[in-house]
Amino acid sequence: MLPATARRVQTHTCDKVNDHIQSRTEENVERYREATPTQIRRRLRQLDREWDVERALQTNFAAVSLAGLALGRLVDRKWYLLPAVASGFMLQHALQGWCPPLPVMRRIGVRTMSEIAEERRQLERLLAEAQQRRMEEAG
Amino acid sequence: MIARSADRIGTSRYRNAAARIQDQTDENIQHYRHADRRAVERRLAVLDREWDIDRVVEAEAPATILLGLGLGALAGRKWVFLSAFASVMVLLHGTQRIYPLRPALRRMGIRTQAEIALERDALLDRLDELDHQNA
Repeated sequence: MLPATARRVQTHTCDKVNDHIQSRTEENVERYREATPTQIRRRLRQLDREWDVERALQTNFAAVSLAGLALGRLVDRKWYLLPAVASGFMLQHALQGWCPPLPVMRRIGVRTMSEIAEERRQLERLLAEAQQRRMEEAG
Repeated sequence: MIARSADRIGTSRYRNAAARIQDQTDENIQHYRHADRRAVERRLAVLDREWDIDRVVEAEAPATILLGLGLGALAGRKWVFLSAFASVMVLLHGTQRIYPLRPALRRMGIRTQAEIALERDALLDRLDELDHQNA
């Protein structure tokens, strides 16, 4: 059985790191509890730009593969092993959810799209509340 | 310019497929607006398993690269250019959200994780609503 798309990265990250990322997300939301609608909207736009873990892994994988292919062509054919191994791990990540760069990225704090979406969901709720407050203040 | 992460459908080239996917998502959300808890939870589990476009690319691209390397070893070194082409395309997908198979995948209805999250949010709102009704 293949793991669920939305949870396969968390499943293969140790609990401590998952918890750390989650508490960071909660802190982020907490900071906007009393914020104005403009501030919240700015944060939402920031979230739109945040690189999720899939995007980071794809870019990293492509760069490693290209480097290996170039070295294989120009330096020594043994270098072709590098893109082969990287492809194997990328495939493993797609199917199972783990690959060697993943633990590093998770420790740096790179989030999954569903973790980012959770922050966005809570911020949108805060935005609605902030707009409500503003309406009441305006009378 | 590097594309925004949430902007998975940004360019006009994909607008039709994107609009269709959005309509489908809206329809799904409507369908569960008054559903009971069991149905909502079942749908959430389905959404968690749904393969998003990143997962499809992450399976397809390395398969293509391995194919190029394999053919390069067996049928002629020129095949390595297939691997190089595929790698450049993954780089484009990572940074620009451009990918040769993306229009076809979108037409097949494969969603981005951000689009799936929209539907998930609506379902979670429905669960909150049910909680309030019970309370």
